[in-house]
Amino acid sequence: MPDSVKINQSTIRLIKGDLTALDVEAFVFYARPDLALGSGFGNAISMRGGSTIKEELEKIGGIKSGEAVATAAGELKAGYIIHAAGPAFHEENIEGKLLITMENALKCAEEKGIKQLAFPPMGAGFFAVPLPVCAKVMIESIKRYLSGDTGIKEVIICAADNRDYKSFAVELAAID
Amino acid sequence: MTNKKRSHQAEVLIEGMAEKLNRQIVGSLVACVHCGNCTRSCHYVLTNPDDPTFAPAYKADRIRKIFKRHFDWTGRVFPWWVGAKSIFTVEELEELKDIVFGKCTNCRRCSINCPMGVDYATFNRMMRGLLVSVGIMPEGVAVVSKDQWEIGNQMGVLPEDYIDTIEWMSEEMQSELDDPTAVIPIDKMDADIVYTINPREVKYDPRTISDAGKIFHLAGENWTMPSEGWDMTNFGLFSGDDALGGAVAGRVYEKAKELRAKKIVISECGHGYRSTRCEGPNWAGMDVEIPMESSVITMLRYVREGRIKVDKTRNTKSYTFHDSCNNARSCGLFEEPRELLNLVVTDFREMYPNRSENYCCTGGGGAMSMSEYTPLRLKSAKIKADQLRETGAEVVVTSCHNCVDGLTDLIKHYKLGMEVTQLVNMESEVNKGSGFNVSIPRRSIALSSNDFK
Ligand code: SF4
Ligand code: SF4
Repeated sequence: MPDSVKINQSTIRLIKGDLTALDVEAFVFYARPDLALGSGFGNAISMRGGSTIKEELEKIGGIKSGEAVATAAGELKAGYIIHAAGPAFHEENIEGKLLITMENALKCAEEKGIKQLAFPPMGAGFFAVPLPVCAKVMIESIKRYLSGDTGIKEVIICAADNRDYKSFAVELAAID
Repeated sequence: MTNKKRSHQAEVLIEGMAEKLNRQIVGSLVACVHCGNCTRSCHYVLTNPDDPTFAPAYKADRIRKIFKRHFDWTGRVFPWWVGAKSIFTVEELEELKDIVFGKCTNCRRCSINCPMGVDYATFNRMMRGLLVSVGIMPEGVAVVSKDQWEIGNQMGVLPEDYIDTIEWMSEEMQSELDDPTAVIPIDKMDADIVYTINPREVKYDPRTISDAGKIFHLAGENWTMPSEGWDMTNFGLFSGDDALGGAVAGRVYEKAKELRAKKIVISECGHGYRSTRCEGPNWAGMDVEIPMESSVITMLRYVREGRIKVDKTRNTKSYTFHDSCNNARSCGLFEEPRELLNLVVTDFREMYPNRSENYCCTGGGGAMSMSEYTPLRLKSAKIKADQLRETGAEVVVTSCHNCVDGLTDLIKHYKLGMEVTQLVNMESEVNKGSGFNVSIPRRSIALSSNDFK
């Protein structure tokens, strides 16, 4: 199965790795509307990135569900973090809301002039978005976005384990 | 008929219940004859005798009513006759949360004492999972689950901190044994044993890692620790989230396979042992060919085979043993730890009741992470405190990290003044001054007897 696919001038690349330790221009954090970092990836951001990220988020205050906002990434290797508040816990219309969140995260990166952006499996895992739904919606959304006029050259999907990786590999292989 | 509008969360919960109803759960939901046996088994009831809402059958009925209303024909046709009742509002879901998370540690003591085979703990866990799926859970459950999903272990230990700790413990081991070959190998291929641990060991109790390392080294074991997939604990057992259970267990199995290890050894942790060895393959939907065992069995084998030698006269305190619910009641692991303990101490005092009838440390089922229920937990711990006090022992030994925390908390609360330790610490201490292995240079373990506590 391919681990990368070209869409126009851009690439979608699938890796297995540690999202918040990636040496990329920006990565997406699946946030809550109150922008609290919390545990999980949020804990890794706080521990590795230092206190400035939280301070910047506190100034922003909050976002609406589906929206995305960018902050600097403190001492992390990445330059920016895109905080995107997606659907959670089997709320209504998961697919539609995830599509909007993806689009807003990509647009937010575009506005910052970011050319390389890494995503986790958005909402899968703790937030209970079913992994096959997550993989299908994410690949569909990224493919659609990169087919248009964009400065984003590389979108990385960073799987935490083989289980995540396999679901995305199937969707990536299905891109014509 | 009620005209109450059902919340989206309640709709999802009822739909989810349909998927969870297997033969074991349905059998438990329909079999209760309200004989009351379970009531006498539950530590919550025994410490709150005047409050009927703690009775397992009462708690079970709260879930059973929903089952009857939606999935049992009697409840669908004659709900008033069989006490069937649906669930509607978020407030009702919150109330259910306080029952299934706050009034039960899923210890299964009522389950094994039910003459009808009703396994309340199993469908209590089912309801936890359904509530978690709609985002209704204690804050601590959310924090720990997210850490385990996203960081790979339930205490959010970052990979660099894990590796640093292992390397630090490796250096400690080398200097303590004065042996440059006494190292903790990481990601060694084709080892006979891959040793998996509880993140609590990295974060709060790294000595248990070096203690285990010393035992493996002195036994001349070909072993390794994995750089990832090392957390054998599984919050999915507590939260009822089978997907988390499968993801976490799957990481352990896959890493061991990648390293071509011949066996997975699980350090002393009751829920980790049950999750990794017993429940994990089902949750992960994997055929796991690699054998798995508790480190208690590994250590016992070393002593039986003479690979490590022990001298029980060096331990002069009085000891009792606390059975972890998951080890003893759910996995039948209760003779081996006693055999091992009796090999390293002279004064062992049994606690009553014991083995599969033992009382929960009262911090089980993830209770230690749910601070909102702490006063209730500590009140219900009186039964355990009385049990411990009656032994008159100075030290309580257990084979579970969670029980160490639960026991430590209640010992402090009830001012029992007892020490809590695990078998791995005992074994390692006894080996410090006495053991030797033919494959290890003698000087490497010839420590002063002052090192022995
Ligand atoms: S012991 Fe079993 S049958 Fe008796 S009340 Fe409890 S659950 Fe029901
Ligand atoms: S599983 Fe344990 S804590 Fe829960 S109701 Fe049964 S006896 Fe009580």
